Amino acid sequence: MKLPKVRELLEATKALLVGPYTSKFPKKPHVPHPNFRGQPIYNPDKCVGCLACVSVCPVEALDYEDITDPKNPRRVMIHYTDTCIFCGTCEAACIADNEGIKLSNEWNLAFLDRKQSQESIEKELQLCEICGEPVACKDHLKWIAERVGELSYSNPTLYFSRLKELGVIDENILAASRDYNRSDRMKILCARCRRETTLTTK
Amino acid sequence: MAKSVIPIGPFHPLQEEPEFFTLTVDGEMVVDIDVAIGYNHRGIEKLSEMKTFDQSTFLIERICGICSTSHPFAYTRAVEDIIPVEVPERAKYIRTIIAEGERIHSHLLWLALAGHFLGYNTVYMWVWKLREEILDVMEILSGNRNNYAMFKPGGVRRDIKAEDIPVVAKKIDSIIPTVNRLKKAILDDPVLHARLKGIGILTKEEALDYCALGPTSRASGVAKDVRKDAPYGAYDQVEWDMIVTENGDVWDKAVIRILETYESIKIVKHCLTNLPDGEIDLNIKDIPPGEGIGAHEAPRGETFHYVRSDGTNRPARHKVRAPTFMNLPTCKATVPGYTVSDATIILAAIDPCYCCTERVAVVDTKGKQMYNAQDLIRLSQEKTQSLKRKMGIK
Repeated sequence: MKLPKVRELLEATKALLVGPYTSKFPKKPHVPHPNFRGQPIYNPDKCVGCLACVSVCPVEALDYEDITDPKNPRRVMIHYTDTCIFCGTCEAACIADNEGIKLSNEWNLAFLDRKQSQESIEKELQLCEICGEPVACKDHLKWIAERVGELSYSNPTLYFSRLKELGVIDENILAASRDYNRSDRMKILCARCRRETTLTTK
Repeated sequence: MAKSVIPIGPFHPLQEEPEFFTLTVDGEMVVDIDVAIGYNHRGIEKLSEMKTFDQSTFLIERICGICSTSHPFAYTRAVEDIIPVEVPERAKYIRTIIAEGERIHSHLLWLALAGHFLGYNTVYMWVWKLREEILDVMEILSGNRNNYAMFKPGGVRRDIKAEDIPVVAKKIDSIIPTVNRLKKAILDDPVLHARLKGIGILTKEEALDYCALGPTSRASGVAKDVRKDAPYGAYDQVEWDMIVTENGDVWDKAVIRILETYESIKIVKHCLTNLPDGEIDLNIKDIPPGEGIGAHEAPRGETFHYVRSDGTNRPARHKVRAPTFMNLPTCKATVPGYTVSDATIILAAIDPCYCCTERVAVVDTKGKQMYNAQDLIRLSQEKTQSLKRKMGIK
């Protein structure tokens, strides 16, 4: 028990010389470590609008809205920054090589109006040609067609989506294909309408 | 001499948590103590039944702000016990690293708060600064200072990158001299000796009677540690010592926590250098019907989780027992016979976490308890019956 307070004095002197451990926020902006889990951000080029992230989110911080306006059908993917817990489950579940939604280093998410606490991107939506209900996002159909390869030719919805993207077909060719026997199937259809057209003859 | 009653609560002025201690004092001596909890019931167990097994992990993590890895660790072990499966080696090591990193920062936090309770704010600020380094290490490893979101049934969510390991090892090495200096400063301090030695003694028999857990029991000479008794994770592949002392007073509880910090540093360093290669996740798809139990030695003692599955993707029942639930009643044995000023530090010595251990309590406006456990079960059953009648289900 020799001079116990000397150690404290040493530490105090060291602290005076070195300064505080914390960063000098707000005088200087705080830069977190690259591994830091911050706000998830959608990448509109990579995201295919498949809603995998929405279904796995543990706090329902991700949401979507389908706007089935025939002129401009689109799916709005919404991220609520106030509810988010930055767990990274959305990134882990993303089917587009984990790049559709990615956690960023952004931590400064303070806001004054709660309405500002959301971010959204829009994806083009494919509507069913019969009932007008949403089938999936256009990018999602292309993504599936690429994945299943030649198997996509068993499904008109998929291969029309793929061929349209490649610019191989246009409306004239589609109109010609409708003169065949089962022309009612040669359309981009939602699952329910495809079942109905396949099973029933009108 | 007339006895008077001193209430501490319903909001602890220092620990900033809802609890209610009633101290019956005779002069300055405490002759009796009673504790009431139940001010902050959050319904976590019920909420957990409404989320999938995977999503529940994040909820369970938020039972406790400080031991935010202990609860997911016990929960994931319970879910893996249902199937049952063994997680890959690398996942075990990563889990151990995160759990021990948490133990270091939790013990340091307690040390700081103990200093704060005694009016020794030098230690408080000093340890707080030291703890920042550990929190930075956790940020590098997991991406956040707390609520690490690393655990999932079947493995861990993210890997530890090879380039981060030297940085982390260097940071952990750099805190050892500071901890050494801190240890000497605390153990040599005559004021702390005077305040803590022989205060709040929990004898070995009492520790066994009250089923005390963790550092509270180990300070009383009861060598009880889940990591040694039923090894899991990488604890059986690392050499480390269980710290046990005999006196059971507050001083010993402090010593145990300081020495355990060293053991945790040793475990983290060993796991980081010997991190095996391989998978980190089993990608469990389905949980079969059944029940499982999981335990983990949290910084405060053994955390215990029970999960029952009915074959769906949600738990049918989830039961949580936080270590404070067992440690809190020991105040009956430790506090009476000491002065009011000692009561503060004795109550803090078990490192209590009142919110984690919450149970539902129904009181009327005058603070009188209205229902006991049996009444609540009866109420719940009556409600179910009336709902069934309303919906026409037999």
